[in-house]
Amino acid sequence: MARETGWERSRDPVGIWEHRGKVALASRGHAPTDRRWDGVSMDKTLGAYTIIAANAAIEDAGIKPSDIDGIITSPGGQPGGAPIGDTWGPVRPYFAPPYNTEDGLTQVTGEWLARQMGLKNVRYFNSHGDTIWNLIGLAAQCVGDGRCNVALVTYPTGNLEGRYHRNPDTRVRGPAQWSSPWGWGLSGQGFTFEQYCRKYGSNHDRMAPFVVQEHKNGLLWPGSYYAQHEPQPFTTEDYLNGRWIAQNLSIFDCDRPVNTAAAYIVTTAERARDMRHKPVYILDHTESTFQPRSLVQDLDDTEAFCKVQAERSYAGSGLRPKDIDIFLPYDGFAVFTQYFIEAFRWRGVNKGEAHDLYAMDITPQGPNPLNTGGGNMGTGRMRTAFFSDPIEQIQGRAGARQAKKAEIAVTHGVLPGNAATIVMSSTPG
Amino acid sequence: MAILLSFDIDGTLEVGDPPGGITMEMVRRAYEAGYLIASCSDRALSSQKAMWARYNIPAVFTASKHQLPNMRAAITADAYYHIGDRDTDEQIAAENGFGFWWNHEGVSEPWLTLQTPHGVQTPGGEDVSG
Repeated sequence: MARETGWERSRDPVGIWEHRGKVALASRGHAPTDRRWDGVSMDKTLGAYTIIAANAAIEDAGIKPSDIDGIITSPGGQPGGAPIGDTWGPVRPYFAPPYNTEDGLTQVTGEWLARQMGLKNVRYFNSHGDTIWNLIGLAAQCVGDGRCNVALVTYPTGNLEGRYHRNPDTRVRGPAQWSSPWGWGLSGQGFTFEQYCRKYGSNHDRMAPFVVQEHKNGLLWPGSYYAQHEPQPFTTEDYLNGRWIAQNLSIFDCDRPVNTAAAYIVTTAERARDMRHKPVYILDHTESTFQPRSLVQDLDDTEAFCKVQAERSYAGSGLRPKDIDIFLPYDGFAVFTQYFIEAFRWRGVNKGEAHDLYAMDITPQGPNPLNTGGGNMGTGRMRTAFFSDPIEQIQGRAGARQAKKAEIAVTHGVLPGNAATIVMSSTPG
Repeated sequence: MAILLSFDIDGTLEVGDPPGGITMEMVRRAYEAGYLIASCSDRALSSQKAMWARYNIPAVFTASKHQLPNMRAAITADAYYHIGDRDTDEQIAAENGFGFWWNHEGVSEPWLTLQTPHGVQTPGGEDVSG
């Protein structure tokens, strides 16, 4: 099908979601997490990993493949389903089917997945999802609207080289002459962070407790790259000795690219009650997209964007800041997470106060359980800890990461200017 | 004659991610021949220390890439070399008076030929004796 637009809840006033508590996340499944694909191991392609994740989610839900009647995916994990890194072809030859195109190598569409898994009962395909927050919002809306009842939602995050977005150019022209001096694209977040620190009297070192705690949490989540491959603790000394990528953006503020896939079962609340684990009810999804006033997004832009989206989310869910037990704001660049915390006023944190929160107890078992799954800093650039962890928390199976109270979890991402918020609950509200 | 060898890890050493061609046995051989061994990498310092501990090779320093000048000031040697796989490695070596080998050049253990009767030679032939 063609890409559908207009499903987003992005027009104020959004009002309480019409499907509030009638749609649920039932399960999660993960493939192994590698640093990159070696171009040789056909059992470790992005497609193979997505199949592993899909089967794991189906098994976790206690259902059969034949129960799946919808597949909703972001084939490459980026906006529009694009892959984040390089494509395999055309400079390299493709392989024998089913790896004779990009599908299965650097992106995985629902149609490819259904063919490989023999999913015969799928009547709704949507392979035009965006990043994971928008993707889960899309899936929730589709299930709520009755397009399918048991949706398999997949989120592959591929990585061929281990690095991406490298720009070999030594000269810039046009508008880039104003932004490139700050580094590649979103390296400009360092500039915004500098503005933040000057305005509120903070500094980069005060990020350390947050990033270190995320690494601790990530080591407790089996899907994490670090839990699987580098299980030694990440320390404050490590963080403070990180190299600047752009000033005020350390290498340890940037998530590590990985190669993996995750899958979820999104279904009606009624159907979810018959599945293996208790439902994680979706109370709301809201979305927003903004453009900065100038070429480089500054602090005023950033705070304004986040405020609009946070207020939209509260209006859509009917919740208040004090209702959120676990907050999971995106940290793909760790230096922008404070904008989300402050906009949502979680734990009463106002503008300029998030670094004070970082200095408090933000452990999963403490009073301020923040990014209990480790975020991207503690897991790698897979983004799915922001859903798999709260699912496990609300279902009471987060193990050593289990928060004392896990009834309402809210996750938000991907960027200040392009965001969605998903509100999850142990009850239908 | 004290010669310091600073190794990048990822893409350079066999235990890196991606693996490089320089084996830990080559590093051990250099250590046992009396070279001062160190690492300078974008890896977290704790990860670098864990690597050296795992192979029981005492490193005279572990550093992030931007810290190479501090390490040169802190460690006295007659000559300093860095081995890496990225432009960043070549740049920091040049800026801080380290001789430099690319990772693929390091596979032939060129440092083993450095200690000659005539002093310490760089990969390019110039004398970098400290």
